Amino acid sequence: MRIPYFPGCTLYTKARNLDNSTRASLGALGVELAELPQWTCCGTVFPLAQDNYMGMVAAARILANAAKEGDGRLVTVCSFCYNVLKRVNYAIKNNPEAKNKLNTYLEENYAGETRLLHPLEVIRDEVGWERIKSKAGENLKGLKVACYYGCLLTRPAQEMAFGDPENPTVMEELVCALGAEPTVFPHKTKCCGSYQLLNSSELVLSRVREILCSAAAHGAQAIITSCPLCQFNLDWAQEKIEQNDPGFTKIPVLYFTQLLGAALALPAQNLGLEQHYVDPRPLFTGM
Amino acid sequence: MAEEKEMVNIYIMGKHYKVPYGLTIMKAMEYAGYRFIRGCGCRGGFCGACGTVYRKPGDFRLKVGLACQTVVEDGMYLTQIPFYPANKATYNLEELTPTLGTLLQYYPEMTRCLGCNSCTRICPQELSVMDYIAAAQRGDIEKAANMSFDCIMCGLCASRCPAEIVQYNVAILARRLYGRHIAPRAQHLAKRVEEIKAGKFDEEISRLMKMDRAELQKLYDARDIEP
Amino acid sequence: MTTDLASKMGQELSGKILEISGQNPHLCMQCGTCSASCTGIDLMDLLPRQVMRLIQLGNARALACRSIWICSTCLLCTARCPRGIDIARLMEALRVINLRKGNEVLAPEKIPVDLIKEVPQMALTSGFRKLSA
Repeated sequence: MRIPYFPGCTLYTKARNLDNSTRASLGALGVELAELPQWTCCGTVFPLAQDNYMGMVAAARILANAAKEGDGRLVTVCSFCYNVLKRVNYAIKNNPEAKNKLNTYLEENYAGETRLLHPLEVIRDEVGWERIKSKAGENLKGLKVACYYGCLLTRPAQEMAFGDPENPTVMEELVCALGAEPTVFPHKTKCCGSYQLLNSSELVLSRVREILCSAAAHGAQAIITSCPLCQFNLDWAQEKIEQNDPGFTKIPVLYFTQLLGAALALPAQNLGLEQHYVDPRPLFTGM
Repeated sequence: MAEEKEMVNIYIMGKHYKVPYGLTIMKAMEYAGYRFIRGCGCRGGFCGACGTVYRKPGDFRLKVGLACQTVVEDGMYLTQIPFYPANKATYNLEELTPTLGTLLQYYPEMTRCLGCNSCTRICPQELSVMDYIAAAQRGDIEKAANMSFDCIMCGLCASRCPAEIVQYNVAILARRLYGRHIAPRAQHLAKRVEEIKAGKFDEEISRLMKMDRAELQKLYDARDIEP
Repeated sequence: MTTDLASKMGQELSGKILEISGQNPHLCMQCGTCSASCTGIDLMDLLPRQVMRLIQLGNARALACRSIWICSTCLLCTARCPRGIDIARLMEALRVINLRKGNEVLAPEKIPVDLIKEVPQMALTSGFRKLSA
C-alpha cells in the first residue's frame, strides 16, 4: 500500500528521527509513504480570525496538490501539520466562502476531497491492532508508557474527529498492542506551552514540569508523543528543570513511531534514539 | 497615422510620454529624458539592476520585467523600482556551518512565510521563489541553492513579500553555504593548483613574459577554444 | 458625556471582536470554567473569565492585557465552555486587533540566537504567526 506523505519542515531537521521512524515502521507494516514531489510549510497554526484566509493558503495548496496524487489520501504525522491541514480541509468542505476565496486565489478547483490521515489512524484502520500484536513480540513487555497527545491532535473535536478531545485512546491502544503498558495520567491533552517557548519560556518550563511529574507519579518510564514541538519542549526543558530542582527525575520522551519501531525491532539508524536530550536507549537495553 | 504606428504612449511614474515603438523600457526612459546614474547595469539582462514594475491598460495585475529586456507597449504604466534597503546580513562564510540554524540565525524572518506565492509570481527570472524558501525553511540548503541559481538579486520578490522576507539574500546565503561547505571540492582544480605550486608552468610563463605584443597577439588568435 | 464616549468606543470594539471571532461573548455566564481549565493563568494578569467580562463590557482593557499573549491556543477553554463559546477565537481576535496595528510581542531580532538555532523551526513559524505583526 502506497500513500502520499507530507513530512513537514521540522521532520527534515530537528525531528529527522520522527520522519525516519515513521517511514520505517509503517514500511515494516506494509505501508509505503510516498513524499509529495513539491511542498511548502503548512503554516503550522490554523488562523482563528474569521477573516484571515491568507493563513490558510499554504495548507490549501498542499491539500489541493495532494488531491492530484495517489488515491486522494494524505498522511502526515506532525501534530501541527495534521491539525492545520485537517482544519483547513474542514473549512474548505464546510465554509463556502473559504472554499471560494482559496480556490480563486490559488486558481484551483478543490473542494476538500483529500482524506488526511494520521499514522495512528493508518495503523489502527489499515493495519489493525491484531497484526501489530503478532509483529511486535515481547520486546516492550512491562514498559510503562504515558501517551501524551498535547492540544493539537484532538481539538477542536468536531473538526479533528480524533476521539474525545480530552481523553483520546488510540495511542494507548497502540501501546497495548505493542505489549507495553499505558500509564493513565491526567495531563495527556494538556498544553506543553507550545510556541510560547519563544515569548514566555517560563510558561513552558512550568507546564512541562507538571506534565512530566504527573506522568512519572503515575508510574511512567517513558512518554510518547507525535508532535515535534511537544517532544522538544518536554525533552529539552528537563535539564533546566533539574538545575532548579535536584530531586527531579528525568524521563525519556519519544515519538510513538520510535516505540513502534523498537517493538518491531527495526535497525537503530531508523529510530534515531541518540538524537534526544534525555537518552531513551537505557529503556531498550534488553533488546 | 504613420506617427500612431511608430510611436507609443507610455506613463513613467504617472507622466505621459510618446516614445518610439520597439524600444526597451530602459531606452524609452532615456528617450523621454531620463539619465541613469544607477538602476542600470549590464543592459544585457543579467545583472538585475533595472527591475521594473508595469501595468498594461485593462489589466489590474502588476507585471514585472527588467527595463533593459522588456519592450514598451502602448498604454503601459511603469516605474523602475528603487533600491530596497532590505535586510542583508554580514557574515564570515568560513566560520559558518551549512545548517538550517545558520539560515535562521541571519534570517529568522524567513519562517514568517505565508505561502502566498507573490514572490514566484513576480520573479522576472521565473524562479520558484516560494519553493526555494520552502526548501530553506526545512534546512535543505542544496535544494535552495540549486533552485535559486539563476537569481539576479533584483529584489522584486522582497518588494512584494507580505512577510517581509528577503528571499534573494536568503538564497545567496544558501548558495554560498552550498558552494563553500557542501559541494564536493573540484578535484581537477586542486590538481592544477598543485601543479602550479610545483612549478610545472614556470617555464611557459617566463617564455610568454618575454614575448612582444605582436607575438602574443598571434598566439592569442591561434589559441584553442574549448567547445 | 464621559460614559457616552466610553460606551461608543465599547460598541466599536465589540463589533470588531464579533466580526473577527464570529463569537457572541454575551453568551458567557461567567462560570469560570475557562479560567479553571487554562494552563497559562499563573502568568496571566487577567483570568480568561475576566477577559470575557471585559469583552462583554466593550472595555478596551481587554486589548491591553498580558493574558492574550500568554494564551497558547490549546483550545481547552473552547472544549469545556458550557455555553459553547469558542473562547480561543475571542482571544485571537484581541491579538489580531493589536497585531494589525503593529503591536506585537514577538520580534525575530529579540529572540536569542542560541534559542533560534536550537528550537524546531515550527516554533518560530507558529510563534510569528500568533505573536508577531
